[in-house]
Amino acid sequence: MIDINAKLKEIGPYIPEEDDDLLVCRCEEVTKGEIRKAIHSGLFTIEELRRFLRCGMGLCQGQTCGLLTRRLIAKELGTSVHEIDVATSRAPMRPVLMDEASRDHKGE
Amino acid sequence: MERIKEHPILGTCEPGKIVHFTCDGKTLEGYEGEPIASALRVNGIMVHRYTSKRHEPRGVFCAIGRCTDCVMIVDGVPNVRTCITPLKEGMKVETQYGVSRKGDVK
Amino acid sequence: MSMEYKEMVVIGAGPAGLSAAIEAASKGIKVTVYDENARPGGQLFKQIHKFFGSKEHKAKIRGFKIGEELLNEATKLGVDVVLNATVMGLFAQKELTVLINNEVHHVKADAILVATGASENMVNFRGWTLPGVIGAGAAQTMMNLHHIKPGNKILMVGTGNVGLVVSFQLLQAGCEVVALVDAAPAIGGYGVHASKLARTGIPFYLSHTVKVAEGEDHVTGVTIAEVDSHFKFIPGTEKHFDVDTICVAVGLSPMTQLLKMDGVKMEDTRGGYVPACKKDGSTSIPGVFAAGDVAGIEEASSAMIEGRMAGAAICEYLGYEDHEEKESREETLFGSLENLREGMFAPKNRGKKIEKTEEGIDISQNLLRHGFIGDDEVERFPGVISKKGIHPVIECSQNIPCNPCQSACHKGCIAIGDHMTSLPVVDPESECINCGMCVASCPGQAIFLVDEEEDHTLITMPYEFYPLPVVGEKGMALGRDGHEVCEAEITNVRTSKAYDHTALVTMKVPAKYAMTARFYKKGEDVL
Repeated sequence: MIDINAKLKEIGPYIPEEDDDLLVCRCEEVTKGEIRKAIHSGLFTIEELRRFLRCGMGLCQGQTCGLLTRRLIAKELGTSVHEIDVATSRAPMRPVLMDEASRDHKGE
Repeated sequence: MERIKEHPILGTCEPGKIVHFTCDGKTLEGYEGEPIASALRVNGIMVHRYTSKRHEPRGVFCAIGRCTDCVMIVDGVPNVRTCITPLKEGMKVETQYGVSRKGDVK
Repeated sequence: MSMEYKEMVVIGAGPAGLSAAIEAASKGIKVTVYDENARPGGQLFKQIHKFFGSKEHKAKIRGFKIGEELLNEATKLGVDVVLNATVMGLFAQKELTVLINNEVHHVKADAILVATGASENMVNFRGWTLPGVIGAGAAQTMMNLHHIKPGNKILMVGTGNVGLVVSFQLLQAGCEVVALVDAAPAIGGYGVHASKLARTGIPFYLSHTVKVAEGEDHVTGVTIAEVDSHFKFIPGTEKHFDVDTICVAVGLSPMTQLLKMDGVKMEDTRGGYVPACKKDGSTSIPGVFAAGDVAGIEEASSAMIEGRMAGAAICEYLGYEDHEEKESREETLFGSLENLREGMFAPKNRGKKIEKTEEGIDISQNLLRHGFIGDDEVERFPGVISKKGIHPVIECSQNIPCNPCQSACHKGCIAIGDHMTSLPVVDPESECINCGMCVASCPGQAIFLVDEEEDHTLITMPYEFYPLPVVGEKGMALGRDGHEVCEAEITNVRTSKAYDHTALVTMKVPAKYAMTARFYKKGEDVL
């Protein structure tokens, strides 16, 4: 179990960077700055960031930004990207209309 | 953007059957069954939608239906991935603003 | 609603999935392959270049032809390939939900192979969301499947094999590639792929990356800049290009979500976040297998063998083969796979800096930095000889598992030996008959026929662009770096079914340019 306060102390406060307005999540339009701020407020996992900022929760379900976000977390925490868990996988794996998702095939 | 007609490896690229469709009310031509995005590209259209938060233009990015950046309103249905949806005669394609038509209340 | 029962389900009709389906169906298993795309074959149908490897790996055959072969074989064996079928979920007890024709099918299978391939990685720079910034896969899809030029003037980001191969394909589609950039200090892909581009005059900018993609509604330009060893921009190093398209090829990640969802044990490796698999593709869940890029990023040739191995393992799992049969099949296949995993670019060498070839020859540093072998470096490689009369010159300087040139020559001019990754050696005593088969067979287009005479030299090169030069046409010979070296006249243009769309163009240049002229550009004023 990670000690959030100790880790926050270790990584220091959020300091704005020149390219903080750069988008990381294209679908939900979440910026690097927003994610960095969230990390420095104690959200160290992709799961928490997803719930809090909706990054990786849009139509593409984090296909494009998943790795970018993990790299960003790793950089802010001063660790390797391999230490950062990937997001939980859930069905449906592709964007699907609610109407279709609830329409079962009746058989031949 | 141009279509490739003669290719050193693929040979002659046979033209498809021409169909008509509209984009934001303008009548355009494309090949039946090709991705809507391809037909738009040939007609010089690169902006498929404007995002809801930052109102930024988006177009084709992955071209295989994964990134969902190229979504538009097709025959009244929003969020249609135009890079993998085949073009049909009479299709009505519209630029998507956020998840709606221009001017529609979200 | 009803539950559909299948004997074996394959998710993904790419090289791994189809190969597994063929292997299993040939033993009598009823196989259903689901693919979310409208066309089968995965990425094979976008790969129009000749494959590396040896004959058993389908070397020198173009990717899309291999795709057609696999599909025909699968169809003949009665494999049911269901297209536009999106597997939405994979659950415990080998249950899946598949979206077909706007309806959800509930399916249970005795064995499942996940062969979902990979997705493209991305980099985010200023302006990366502008229309006109596309993935390399998108470019391939547009030009090779839908026959649309992705752009007119293009900057390629990334010099791995995907970036190099796609750049070449862009040239073949009639686009202009203004430059390739890579944040890394050395070209990541095969040197031969880079050299094909460099000799047409395309510059490589290593230790450079995109600073900003410019444009209001779509890309109209790009600024790149040099980065230091911490990947920070170095002020004052900016370079601007007018482009309408920026193509990004910065690696692939295994598309493992279905496996993860199913609860398969995963591991984070250098090849990506992958299922922990045995070599036959079996995962931590009995009856669930993985093969191809989803189990670790490699080439399509490897994916086909992995698919075969998983197919054999499923045969045993379902009781169609006994353990000994499976083991012996696996051993054969694994040997073939191990051959592909040799050489400088092998998975085990990823990230390693290699200074010398297996033969102990210094690697061309120019090749890594600029995409071409320096004129002063080339003669140290064993395929490069100079002598009176006609002979092949093989500018193959890195150990990659590939040997079609050896079997292409029936005159014994070219020797690689049993070790596939060895550099080809040209024997100065053998008699070249100018058949051109070696030139056309080289997937890296690194072989030239050089006919050295008293007062001139004839240089025959592989040529895969339109329009083809015509005999009698005059222009300039270009060096390995793409710069003009001398005037040249086209004396022969050969095309043949045996050359498989690689034309052999011969140009005449003054004798002293025998070892430097390597490409041809038509004169500007010649119509």
